[in-house]
Amino acid sequence: AERPEDLNLPNAVITRIIKEALPDGVNISKEARSAISRAASVFVLYATSCANNFAMKGKRKTLNASDVLSAMEEMEFQRFVTPLKEALEAYRREQKGKKEASEQKKKDKDKKTDSEEQDKSRDEDNDEDEERLEEEEQNEEEEVDN
Amino acid sequence: MAAAAPGSGAAREEEGTGGDAATPQPPAPTSAPGARLSRLPLARVKALVKADPDVTLAGQEAIFILARAAELFVETIAKDAYCCAQQGKRKTLQRRDLDNAIEAVDEFAFLEGTLD
Repeated sequence: AERPEDLNLPNAVITRIIKEALPDGVNISKEARSAISRAASVFVLYATSCANNFAMKGKRKTLNASDVLSAMEEMEFQRFVTPLKEALEAYRREQKGKKEASEQKKKDKDKKTDSEEQDKSRDEDNDEDEERLEEEEQNEEEEVDN
Repeated sequence: MAAAAPGSGAAREEEGTGGDAATPQPPAPTSAPGARLSRLPLARVKALVKADPDVTLAGQEAIFILARAAELFVETIAKDAYCCAQQGKRKTLQRRDLDNAIEAVDEFAFLEGTLD
């Protein structure tokens, strides 16, 4: 496989996460920073591999969220499971909210056009939005070409 | 009417880049699913997942959870390393604090030898 050095996570983001986790006034040496960044990449690679084992055991081709949660337990990061489940719920709410917002928008516009029969071009825009949304949903299971 | 939804073009482009991990990633569009819920860019996390030759498909939820898990991991290892720095009465996190944390904490054993 590729070396983790080729697959770095952005240093600025890593530094921000570290700073926010530590008390004010703590400094981080450059070496410590890059080591933590590399450790995070290794963590993702290791978690991916563990999660993929669960997917394969379940004879599924697609790595899903529950595989990752199982991987966390296997890696002895059980304490991550609860916050990750909460994050997943927030993620799903956001996805759902987006869909509903777009449907609501369409409903509102339909009402408007019912009463006024106007603005054809905006109606077209709206159709396009929905098409895009469906496309995103189809992409949920994405081929990663290996 | 292609300009109807700003940013959607970039998002679609990103979704389309099959297995080309070498392609420079554009800054994550804020309209991407979960972008605001994750500090780490999902595209980078996806690149790491793709690097595993055994993975055939990965759902977006799995990518998102991995990104969040990586954030938690960074927080955890930073705090543990900071404990080591405190024991040495230092206010700057050094590389050796990290090495000490990895040695002291069982969950970090998988990192041994990967950071040199």
